[in-house]
Amino acid sequence: MSLSRRNFVVATSVAAAGSMVLSACSSGGSDNGGKGSNHGGATEYTGAEVEIGTAEDSKGPAPEVPGAQKGGTIYAVAEDDVSHMDPQRIYFAYNSSVAHLFARALTGYYIDAKGKMTLVGDLATDTGKASDGNKTWTFTLKDGLKWQDGSELTVEDVRHGIERSWAPFITEGATYVQMALTGKGSKWREGYKGPYGGDHLDSIVTDKKKKTITFKLKEARPDFNFTLAMTSYSPVPEKHDTKEKYDKKPFSCGPYIVKNRSIDKSLTFTRNKHWDPKTDPIRNAYPDNFEFEFGPTGLASCDRFIADQGKDQQMIAVYENIPAERMQKVLTNPDVKKRSFNGLSSGTYYYAINTKRITDVEVRKALNIAWPLEQIRRIYGGESAGDLATTVLSPDIIGREKFDVFGKLKKPAGDPERAKAILKKAGKLGQKIVYAFPQRPTYDKTKVVIENALKAAGFDPVIKALNSTDYYDQAQRIDNKFDVMWFGWSPDWPTAYTMIQPLFDGDAIGDGQNNISQTDVDWINEAIKKNAVISDQKEAGKAWAELDKRIMEEVVPIIPETYQRRFYLHGSKVGGAQYDPQFAATLIYKTYVKA
Amino acid sequence: MLRFLLRRIAGGAVILLIISVLVFFLFYAAPRDPARLACGKVCSPETLDLVRHNLGIADSLPVQYWHWFQGLFVGRDYASFGNCPAPCLGYSFRNREPVLGTILDRFPTTVSLSLGAALVFVVFGVGTGMLAARKQGKAIDKIASSASLVASSLQIYVVGVFAVYLFTYQLKWLDRPQYTPFSEDPGAWFSGLMIPWMVLSLIFTANYTRMTRSQMVETLSEDYVRTARAKGLSGRSVFFRFAWRGAMGPIVTIFGLDLGVLLGGAIITEKTFALHGIGDLSVRAVNTSDLPMLLGVVLVAATAIVVFNIIVDAIYALIDPRVRLA
Amino acid sequence: MSTPFLSVRDLRVHFSTEDGMVKAVDGLDFDLEKGKTLGIVGESGSGKSVTNLAILGLHHKDSTTIEGEVLLDGQELLTATERELEKLRGNKMAMIFQDALASLSPYHTIGRQIGETYRKHTGASKKEARARSIEMLTKVGIPQPDLRVDDYPHQFSGGMRQRAMIAMSLVCDPTLLIADEPTTALDVTVQAQIMDLLKDLQQEFGTSIIFITHDLGVIADIADEVLVMYGGRCVERGTKKEVLRAPQHPYTWGLLGSMPSLDGPVDVPLSPIPGTPPSLLNPPSGCRFHPRCAFTEQVGGGRCSGEQPLLELTAGRGAACHLTTEQRAEFFSDFAGSAGAAGIVAEAGLGAHHADRRD
Repeated sequence: MSLSRRNFVVATSVAAAGSMVLSACSSGGSDNGGKGSNHGGATEYTGAEVEIGTAEDSKGPAPEVPGAQKGGTIYAVAEDDVSHMDPQRIYFAYNSSVAHLFARALTGYYIDAKGKMTLVGDLATDTGKASDGNKTWTFTLKDGLKWQDGSELTVEDVRHGIERSWAPFITEGATYVQMALTGKGSKWREGYKGPYGGDHLDSIVTDKKKKTITFKLKEARPDFNFTLAMTSYSPVPEKHDTKEKYDKKPFSCGPYIVKNRSIDKSLTFTRNKHWDPKTDPIRNAYPDNFEFEFGPTGLASCDRFIADQGKDQQMIAVYENIPAERMQKVLTNPDVKKRSFNGLSSGTYYYAINTKRITDVEVRKALNIAWPLEQIRRIYGGESAGDLATTVLSPDIIGREKFDVFGKLKKPAGDPERAKAILKKAGKLGQKIVYAFPQRPTYDKTKVVIENALKAAGFDPVIKALNSTDYYDQAQRIDNKFDVMWFGWSPDWPTAYTMIQPLFDGDAIGDGQNNISQTDVDWINEAIKKNAVISDQKEAGKAWAELDKRIMEEVVPIIPETYQRRFYLHGSKVGGAQYDPQFAATLIYKTYVKA
Repeated sequence: MLRFLLRRIAGGAVILLIISVLVFFLFYAAPRDPARLACGKVCSPETLDLVRHNLGIADSLPVQYWHWFQGLFVGRDYASFGNCPAPCLGYSFRNREPVLGTILDRFPTTVSLSLGAALVFVVFGVGTGMLAARKQGKAIDKIASSASLVASSLQIYVVGVFAVYLFTYQLKWLDRPQYTPFSEDPGAWFSGLMIPWMVLSLIFTANYTRMTRSQMVETLSEDYVRTARAKGLSGRSVFFRFAWRGAMGPIVTIFGLDLGVLLGGAIITEKTFALHGIGDLSVRAVNTSDLPMLLGVVLVAATAIVVFNIIVDAIYALIDPRVRLA
Repeated sequence: MSTPFLSVRDLRVHFSTEDGMVKAVDGLDFDLEKGKTLGIVGESGSGKSVTNLAILGLHHKDSTTIEGEVLLDGQELLTATERELEKLRGNKMAMIFQDALASLSPYHTIGRQIGETYRKHTGASKKEARARSIEMLTKVGIPQPDLRVDDYPHQFSGGMRQRAMIAMSLVCDPTLLIADEPTTALDVTVQAQIMDLLKDLQQEFGTSIIFITHDLGVIADIADEVLVMYGGRCVERGTKKEVLRAPQHPYTWGLLGSMPSLDGPVDVPLSPIPGTPPSLLNPPSGCRFHPRCAFTEQVGGGRCSGEQPLLELTAGRGAACHLTTEQRAEFFSDFAGSAGAAGIVAEAGLGAHHADRRD
């Protein structure tokens, strides 16, 4: 998904981006301990289906939300302010979620009432035309696109938005497009200093008359149109580009404009009268205003939702999960429960096995069989905390297939006898396992059940609690001395490439990189290259799903743990609130104020 | 007096300088890299260098510190923000807001919270303590003593959440805690701070009750108090004319320090009630490795403590003629 | 005998503590005439200070029970209301405490503390009170009183503080002055000056003084009559001459024996009383002194531990001891011959100063 939560690595740095309670921004960085009880809310949701829409699907306006009406103010509450509003500097799901109100991109996802996602043209008339073996992508802008001052939104604005990613002050955004355009990998900044000197990239060709913009990629990218849906690739008008200051007050092409901003305290949006719903197949924009309030802790805002008084009746929680302490109260109170909704977050939590240290695949299998998934999830809060994972790919990924190589769904508590038997056969009884995790209250609890399960299965566990602030730095060091590491990954858009490549490509091994199981298998590397260029995303999805299964059967580089679930509340006068599978947040632009 | 002030202010300045050096170098002793936190998901060495350059942390530590220190007195020039006039505390790593401006923006909240709570806990704490001491051994003393023992063991974040639940959502007596500037709407300022004042002052009230009581009881057993009664003064006038003078010294000392600490930010209270004060700011600064902001809030907090120390010493000299300012 | 100015009858002061009842004073009788000085002597914990606090009503009301009768100039003090007592305290009856530094408020000027008493009882103005304070400071020999009146106690020397204290207690011309070891904390020269001062003032004002001390030398200097207390009871009473020249109680002998004297032979060792003062929580049976007394055998028959000796007074003279009058005379002459107490005994009659006695 268009870069929802970045991977969990960055999740820790959510802090940097302005969050004190990490749960607000990423489950990866959060302490999900005891996320609730076993009462389980509406857990029927298992993941988003993703489709690529047609030009017809890309036409506005967005289908009406039944019963919705215009007007009023929706209040939103969050513990933390958004860390960035300059689209090029936006990577976090929370920021992106809010950016829906003022930023648009060439493509985007239409999300229906059931959470089904369709990639559509947002600014573009369709999801783009690929040619030259997916190396050339052309998009045509719709008519009637305007900036908040009524001026026309042009292809040059789109180009400017992408080119300013090279500006030295922009360091936080996504880099996929930059790498695809230059083919220089992480050295994409070389040779171009950004658009402020009047230079433009040769690789982007615009035709103002025809309203077309063409990207000439150095590498084939069949899912490039997914990449362009990321907030990082939204347009910025050159005339109104205030550079660093743009982050404080961006220029809107979406349904709302920034009216007031008091950093860390409040942010208010008011209707953008130059936004034409007929150009927008995604956003509904019913309220006249959105008013964000920053500061209340998850607990405080949850209590406000439960009390449901005054303005709080018109309040939504954009990214503030229901805290563990209140889960039971919410789920057992019908009046409150009916004001909640939930969904799976887009990533997979897992334990990476260092294949350079645990070289015997039988041992890695035994680890999977022994692992106490059920006990771990109970510590997270039981069923309402999420679903047990058995695959690399999360349920949101196109083509993902559910399989269960090690019978974990039948014996979720672990099967110590079977694990022991495998170890015995491999002559590895008493195998030492160094388990590393970031020290947080929840993981201090899960380590206990893990240690017990490993002992019961005939392993010799050694537990290493690492400082949570630099956990990723340590886990991502290739010469570390850990056998099994707590980890997780969220894709940036819902194709498998964004999960398999960074996690299992031999090229992705290195300090600070994410292939921490150090999987370097020829047939995996080749399959990644091959699958990456399949044009048809459905077909590609099938190929990736096969690869997923084969990796788990033959290489076993990870122990999948959970696909975590997020619960949100809204006030009683809020209509249209639903789960956003793309950003694991409240789908802000469908909400309306009930009469 | 003037000499005392000058000496103490000079001493305070030295302390602040030492604190800033300590904070600065300890910050870098921690395993976090502030540049890493503003670098993208694929953080290439090139981007990391850019971030360092943007944040102004590419230089060696002493040079960085010198730049910061200089900024306090002569201001600083930033490529992206232009001139930051003295006293320049720099720009936040986190959101590139001017540190001084942010602190000044947050300070009224913390001042309102602290002074209001201080008023409550001094009036109630000292008052109850005096009452308990006056009625030593009586029922009211026992009630006050046990109540304060219970209260002082409470946790702000628990009591805070409960108080809001009870007074705002259930009984609907009090407004939901929030800060409105006094200049904007004194009524809203007052009603929005009622619960935070109550909650923050609760534990302090308990402590001041106990402290006042024990100080009074101790003073009441002093020989000079007995002398005062032997002179024919009534128990009442002995209590209020003689004993409190002896009891007030330690209380004023603690009060000054408490107020200094509170003005550096009532972290838990501000967090619990979503008040955007110095405490909230400092938590964010710590959690986001925001060095300039951290230095800023630490200096504010330290200054508050230093200033109140000086004030306390001055007041102490007024209370107790044996103390000479030097 | 004329009606005594102060009359104490069967005074009992009991404190309730967590461990039980402490009988600090357990049946005390004495009289004091106008202009006379009664010396009360005893070790610490003998009840001498408690007696006087009780007379002034300065004990802790909640934990103390007081029985008996205290008549000051015909007024019953023990049943008096706090208000009535407040009118008497500092006015008709005043007290001088041992440690003037601790007993004067560090937070108020000397002048204010003296003047306060005066204003309270005379309703004088601040100005008048100040003038009176200066007058009193002059009387007690403070140099530059008009300047020192604004000083705080910590700016005074020890002797000056005690003078100020005396000034404060005499500011309303009290008829009864209770001096609780007023010179103990002072060095000897100052001590002598203070004693002289007290005597002079007594002459001038005609004040009756109760002088509490553990020091027989001081008694010898100032007292007219002596009351020896032990374990909350009076063990011996008489005129100064009687008690010091011919003490009848082994405890009094012990007090004399533990007293050094420059007039006596230098090589005579001091003989402190063996043992420790009795616990008032569980006082010894019979004679409270018997565990420390060397003469229980001479009494014999277990009387000392079994039977409380009564204080039988003949013309205000007597001792509470089971020894017969003959035995007392015999044992005391033995004692006096061997111990250095002789010096004091000798002096007692002369009323000489003890300016150079070490304490």
